[in-house]
Amino acid sequence: MRGATAMIVAAGVVALGLVPVLAPPFYANLLIPFFGYAIALLGFNLLFGYTGLLSFGHAMFLGLGAYGAAVMAGENGIKSFEVVLLGVALAGALVALPIGLLCVRFIGIFFGMLTLAFGMLTHAILFKFYHLTGGDSGMRVPRMNILGLEFQAYNKIELLAGPFYYYCLGLLVLCGLVMWRIVHSPFGLHLRALSNNAQKAEYLGVRVYQFRLAAFVISAIYGAIGGAILGFRIGLADPEIVHWTHSGHLVFMTVLGGFSSFLGPIAGALALTLLQDQLQSITPYWRFILGAVLAAVVIFLPRGLAGIAGTGAALAKRRAAA
Amino acid sequence: MTAIVETKNVSKRFGDFRALDDVSVAVREGEFVSIVGPNGAGKTTLVNLLTGLLIPSNGQVFFKGTDIAGIGAVALAKRGMARTFQLVQIFPQLTVAETIAAAVVSQQDKAWRLFSKLASDGAVRARVREIAGIFGLDGRLKSESRLLSQGEKKLLDVASAFALNPEVILLDEPTSGVSTAEKHGLVQILIDAAKKAGVKAIILIEHDMDLVAAYSHRIIALSEGKVLADLPPKPFFADPVIIETVIGRRRST
Amino acid sequence: MSLIANLLLGGIFHAAVLFLVAAGLQLVFGVQKIVNLACGSFYALGAYFGITLVTLAMNFGLPAWLLLPILLVAGVLMAAVGPPIERLLRTVYDRDESFQLLLTFALVLMFQDVLRLVWGANPQSLNNVHLVYGKLTWGDLSVPVYNLLVIAAAGATAFFISLFLRRTNYGRLLRATAENRAMAEALGVNVRSVYAVVFTLGTMLGTVGGALVVPTSAASLDMAIEFVIEAFAVVVIGGLGSMPGALVGALLVGLIRAASLVVYPEFEILAIYVIVIAVLLFRPSGLLGKAAT
Repeated sequence: MRGATAMIVAAGVVALGLVPVLAPPFYANLLIPFFGYAIALLGFNLLFGYTGLLSFGHAMFLGLGAYGAAVMAGENGIKSFEVVLLGVALAGALVALPIGLLCVRFIGIFFGMLTLAFGMLTHAILFKFYHLTGGDSGMRVPRMNILGLEFQAYNKIELLAGPFYYYCLGLLVLCGLVMWRIVHSPFGLHLRALSNNAQKAEYLGVRVYQFRLAAFVISAIYGAIGGAILGFRIGLADPEIVHWTHSGHLVFMTVLGGFSSFLGPIAGALALTLLQDQLQSITPYWRFILGAVLAAVVIFLPRGLAGIAGTGAALAKRRAAA
Repeated sequence: MTAIVETKNVSKRFGDFRALDDVSVAVREGEFVSIVGPNGAGKTTLVNLLTGLLIPSNGQVFFKGTDIAGIGAVALAKRGMARTFQLVQIFPQLTVAETIAAAVVSQQDKAWRLFSKLASDGAVRARVREIAGIFGLDGRLKSESRLLSQGEKKLLDVASAFALNPEVILLDEPTSGVSTAEKHGLVQILIDAAKKAGVKAIILIEHDMDLVAAYSHRIIALSEGKVLADLPPKPFFADPVIIETVIGRRRST
Repeated sequence: MSLIANLLLGGIFHAAVLFLVAAGLQLVFGVQKIVNLACGSFYALGAYFGITLVTLAMNFGLPAWLLLPILLVAGVLMAAVGPPIERLLRTVYDRDESFQLLLTFALVLMFQDVLRLVWGANPQSLNNVHLVYGKLTWGDLSVPVYNLLVIAAAGATAFFISLFLRRTNYGRLLRATAENRAMAEALGVNVRSVYAVVFTLGTMLGTVGGALVVPTSAASLDMAIEFVIEAFAVVVIGGLGSMPGALVGALLVGLIRAASLVVYPEFEILAIYVIVIAVLLFRPSGLLGKAAT
């Protein structure tokens, strides 16, 4: 069954790779946020799907990535996107460590509320400390070079729809492979064990709190990388990126795609990005339809798109370890 | 023989309630010891003290000579004591192989390997097969635990504890929820498994006196937080006062 | 001196409205174990409809002093959205709490656009009609009587809710269901109808709260997603599911907001989150909640 997952991934990568070639730049540009979200959700689902912790404040780490890029590239003149990615990943880990230490003592609704509170605390800080963060107008994220190349001949749209697009695709594949290894490692098995039954897991020697914390930190690193991509594309980091409703959207994408499957959240990110774009071009009331879609998924499709697609991705995940 | 697990003058109070009062018991290498007593006698409290979950109000709890008061489940597993629970504890969405592998990973100290492929770890796989074989679960390695029969869940619960390669195993009413006909078979499997796995001592919490009588080297009876008796089966069952207190009048056999 | 008194009254007024919405949240969580993110949307709905109904009434030439009763009616009428939403939530009662939370989040998204569709994207307000009841003035301290009436109304609501829960048979039934759903069901309580009643009551507390606040501040689309966070802060501080906790939490949040406005305005909303986090960490059951889980 692992072959099936590999086939889906290969087909997906080829299809995504063809977008800039076959479709107008608009679509490649549209998919950049998808890459950012997909990477962030890979991490988010390690926490939610595999470890059983639903964070309602995860957008704070996307914010960290975007603002981190603004600070590093905008204020300190670091022009290499790779250095910025490493920087925000490190910052994500450092910030997640103390917050996680406090949050993972709780599970269920209390974990959700605590992360929500931390998220909104971050929002309030970004919003209120105008002289540091630019308040509601945010901070500028300047154009950076990727792989040491300036691409001076390209304007911003061309850069995004061309080199940066492939760069993000590559980054997604890389982050996906790393996450695949993590969830199929002994560490990943212990995460699933503790989310299934924490008490039993402890007696089998699973370090429940340390592992929850580790999952939290890894998910924060992925979130920060995703956030840096979002910031690069818009050229701006503003407080709305950490608002609790944005965290809600992360959960939305994950559930839409299916949190019990490895590829589900990526499918969810793609589906929501495309759906939102389509709806926005049709009606000003797209939020209503998104809400209705979410309600329908929650009620009728608790396993998300991965559940109906019947791609066997979920099966592959389980059987691969045996 | 020195004691491998031992409590010395242990008391445990919850507020004004004395759950255990000056309890000194010991389990030696090679022993199969049963702990019995009516509900509310303090069995659960004693188990939680022996497994390092609770800290005694007075006295000490030793495992292999070191104080284990309140060390917690993970440290306990690391030092070589495993336990099972009265209510069957499984990981519903993990397969049988994964459940056993979770314990094997702890035992082989591989849990922090974030990027290594579990599926291609031969040492883990071999141990999983071995344990599954002992408990007759080798045909169901790829089944999800929630889909097993009640009896198989029970076996899996115990098998995963054995996979830790413990020196002492504490079985908290392993036969609850198992039909009378299957009880002896289950305990026999557990004893055989213990021998194969090199377990040095078994502590059994049990209500079924037939099982207790059949397998124990020694029986410790608790009543109202105190040790009522600490005797081998023969003198134990010969004492009508003990029988009356522990089993009550409803004993039919 | 009067500055402080003014701030204090402002804080208590804010607390009064917060209490109403938080009480709705508590009722629903206490009995149904659902954290309703849409409570802020009910609040916004009450606010918008309050403006509409008051405007309508004034156009019909009703006397201005009817403002408060009209607003109350507006709030109560909008509670009609409660039963159908409860029917929707019924589909996930037996599911994991993350699904319940998400379904209420879906409602938040949908309400945003329903409000936008009906009332437009621009904030709406009633122009100082609340001054119809005059102002109380002592020296240089001056308070609109309307604000005092709202504080009194919230106080009365707190009183009647506690009376209802403690002294009436139905109240006892609600508390029994909150305590142990299976047991209540076994004793013949119609849990389904209890849930419908509780959710509608919870909705009403939110819509009435929104209707009452609207003469003093504008109704806007953002109020739904902002107020829910404040209401959530109140219930966390007070203790999830605890009515007295909602009261204490609301007062605390209201007064902290008022106080930080003078002391250090940047700290306003920040202070609330810091307290929320501190409470969750050191007393996760809240100041007046039951023992920690």
